[in-house]
Amino acid sequence: MKNFDELINELREMLGQKSVAVEPDRLSHFRVDHLTPQAVVFPKNTRQVSDVIRLAHAHNLGVVPWGSGTKMIMGNPPKRLDLVLSTSRMNHIIDVDTANLTITVEAGVKFRDIQARLATQEDRCYLPLEDLATEADEVICSDRSHSGSFLPMDPPEADKATIGGIIATNAAGPRRLLYRLPRDLILGVRMVAPTGDMVGSGGKTVKNVSGYDVSKLAVGSLGSLGVICEITFKLLPLPEKMETLLFSFKSFDAASAFADQIFETSLLPAAVEVLTGGACSRLPMEGIPDFSESPYGVAVALEGFVPAVARMSDELTTMAKSLGTIADTRLEGNRHQAFWLAMSNLGRTFESEHPGLITLKVNTPVSQWAKTMNTLEATLSKADLPYALQAHAGNGVCLARLLLDGEDNDTMEKAVDTVNRLSNLYSEKDGSLVVQTVPSQWKAQLNVWGTPGSAFPVMKRLKEKIDPLGIMNPGRFVGGL
Amino acid sequence: MMDAQTLVDRLGEIVGPQNVLSSQMDLMLYSYDASPEKGIPDVVVLPDSTEEVSKIMVLAHTEKIPVLGRGSGTNLTGGTIPVQGGIVVHFSRMNRILDLDIPNRTVTVEPGIITLDLQTEVLKKGFVYQPDPASQKVSTIGGNIAENSGGPHCLKYGVTSNHIQGLELVLDDGTVVETGGKSWDKPGFDITGLFVGCEGTLAMVTKAILKLERAPEAVKTMLAVYETIEDGANTVSAIIAEGIIPATLEMMDNRVMRAVEETIHAGYPLDAAAVLIIELDGMPQGMEECALKIMDICKENNVREVKLAKDEAERATLWAGRKGAFGAVGQVRPSYQCCDGTVPRTKLPEVLNKVIRIGEKYDLPIGNVFHAGDGNLHPLIMFDERDPEEKARVQKAATEILKACADAGGTISGEHGVGLEKLKETSFIFCETDLAFERTLKQAFDPTNIINPGKMIPEAVC
Repeated sequence: MKNFDELINELREMLGQKSVAVEPDRLSHFRVDHLTPQAVVFPKNTRQVSDVIRLAHAHNLGVVPWGSGTKMIMGNPPKRLDLVLSTSRMNHIIDVDTANLTITVEAGVKFRDIQARLATQEDRCYLPLEDLATEADEVICSDRSHSGSFLPMDPPEADKATIGGIIATNAAGPRRLLYRLPRDLILGVRMVAPTGDMVGSGGKTVKNVSGYDVSKLAVGSLGSLGVICEITFKLLPLPEKMETLLFSFKSFDAASAFADQIFETSLLPAAVEVLTGGACSRLPMEGIPDFSESPYGVAVALEGFVPAVARMSDELTTMAKSLGTIADTRLEGNRHQAFWLAMSNLGRTFESEHPGLITLKVNTPVSQWAKTMNTLEATLSKADLPYALQAHAGNGVCLARLLLDGEDNDTMEKAVDTVNRLSNLYSEKDGSLVVQTVPSQWKAQLNVWGTPGSAFPVMKRLKEKIDPLGIMNPGRFVGGL
Repeated sequence: MMDAQTLVDRLGEIVGPQNVLSSQMDLMLYSYDASPEKGIPDVVVLPDSTEEVSKIMVLAHTEKIPVLGRGSGTNLTGGTIPVQGGIVVHFSRMNRILDLDIPNRTVTVEPGIITLDLQTEVLKKGFVYQPDPASQKVSTIGGNIAENSGGPHCLKYGVTSNHIQGLELVLDDGTVVETGGKSWDKPGFDITGLFVGCEGTLAMVTKAILKLERAPEAVKTMLAVYETIEDGANTVSAIIAEGIIPATLEMMDNRVMRAVEETIHAGYPLDAAAVLIIELDGMPQGMEECALKIMDICKENNVREVKLAKDEAERATLWAGRKGAFGAVGQVRPSYQCCDGTVPRTKLPEVLNKVIRIGEKYDLPIGNVFHAGDGNLHPLIMFDERDPEEKARVQKAATEILKACADAGGTISGEHGVGLEKLKETSFIFCETDLAFERTLKQAFDPTNIINPGKMIPEAVC
């Protein structure tokens, strides 16, 4: 075994002097839970990733891939950490084929840059281009395909997240109701396996039964089976019309009755998002007064042809009124995009205000969402823990945020206890509870992924076969894989 | 391997002797599928429960006997052929709907259920299971899952993989596991996603949770008639480029229409070069405008006429022709080989031209009936399998067609799978590291290589 300095030299020869960082102040930005890497590498393409991983494999180095870092708090603490592999230089849009409705990008491309690239000449875009946050030295992709298509995904932190991170976590948001999950939109993938081999499947066709669907294996794997490098997606034409309806209700029962009634119709909204416990007031968007003061809010996204959106808008407003909505607001034009971007940043807002924030993602069968919200509300109230709740109503996804400052140990312990009880409850049923954010020092007392199901032995076999040394994201994934 | 009679006896103890088939006649019946391939199993077994399947797997695993799951045997690439003999597990008795759960938009079924039977049942409640392979009248959900079946409605709704929420699998050693479920986002690797399209090479599926959607409020079906096949193909690209995603865009050429008219009488114009079936579905608002836009695009591409199905009966007739096309072609010549190459849709006109030239080059009649909106070609090469010289030409032509698809940035199979037929052609789209990785995945599930061996991945060249 060579000493680490020799390996650093090898990496520098491979990638260039500047693409390997070892300075402590830079490394400190790339901590993963309690561990600081020995080096951060910045490969510029798939070939270089392959070289890095081959070296890591030969010397049994623990590697953690890193995009924008928006989801690095997810998962178990790594068992070991030698290299962080940043995808920030892998930021090339490889192929835009809007006539075929596909796009191929490198993993480090930001979601917002994909949408910007797909915007029309007049900057009609799925994201509100002028509202996008950027770091000081960043610019948003200014090249336009003029196609007016979009990548129909709705991930958290839509202005920061990289596409690689979104795929690694199968991250989705409210509009999954209409457009489904990243897993359903991916057509092909190239990744670097833990041996350093470049492998993949799929491509630019919407149908492909040629070999195993490796892209499905990449989606949601948290990078534990290799480094996701290049991804091809299917696109959709930008909706002719986009509009948001906001409704306030006095009680959760009224709000949930409204949401459930929508699913009894043939209307096809893009999202039905229910917010409680003060979540409405924290949306980082100004100018939605009625809604932001609402104790229970329902936000409905409508995206489609003009007459279809008009019909949905009318029918839903009438329905909400008959169910006792106390205020309704309609957001059109760019305000629609701005609202859903703000929604995607709700977690970030809470995180900045509450250093001890614990975020739970609870999944139950789709019809159970309101019951789940009631259980969460009752449990958290009873434990006297401050919270905000949110549900992607038609998909059975509930997000519970415990708004903690993290300073008071007793409160944190009480919170961890409560989370463990909820975790047991939802692991027993046909559901799951994932602790998405929690201060690192409390992870040891939690089972952040919940109890793995009966398919865990298969997952273990796959991990051991593909990554026998366990170098990729060691221990961070489900069941310590 | 244990002797034949012992194997039959042991299986009889598991499923009852009446559910084990071993006469020469029975074995012959399980020696073929819808492809030209053949292979005789040693025994056929018809289990009735997950537990029985598990016991069969334990036996196969212990004795290292090849084992192959079979639905209705409609596979087009030899995926259901027991090339190494062994046990064929026929799922025809496991064909029950276990749990129709409308509030949670799912239905849980056994793998042997016929796809259309299931669809008919859920439609009674106003719901649909979207994937609609042309074989849906006979093919099973288990087979659809193994092959990640497509169908006309894939264009808008995606392939089988997008509609499977969870599976119960019996692993090589008989272990029963559940993947996914009625709730979304189960943490862990997406074993469901990996399994769908594995061509039955990873495990046995014994239950599946399927996603249901509310039936669309409105459907509009049109038939566009063309003087040249190219005009039809250009229309397809133009519709997509206009930002319209119909539910389906299906194309048929003159040769296929003639075959269809002889058996099904769908009313296709026999003097036209090609027809395009265009179907829109969803909310009626906006549909009329879409239909008008589509008609304009058709006109720009020299359409002869566009007929609108006036009612459900007319719609059903248009579709009957399309869905019966393969069968009808089977009446023209004794055999056909269907190449399932798929290309980015913008490459359709170019690749279709190549297909026509390849047919001329090898002097073989080729009919085209395909999912145009998906770029999924289905050139049907018609031949007589009793003529070895002709059969050899068919092989060459098929390989050339698949090469043309791969070279256009496409793939060798959109929905029928690699099976036995396209093992060689995998080299058109995969390099050796890709194939080695696929072998790694196979070994993770089936280290002793007993589950549907010899399919999908070519053996490593040393």
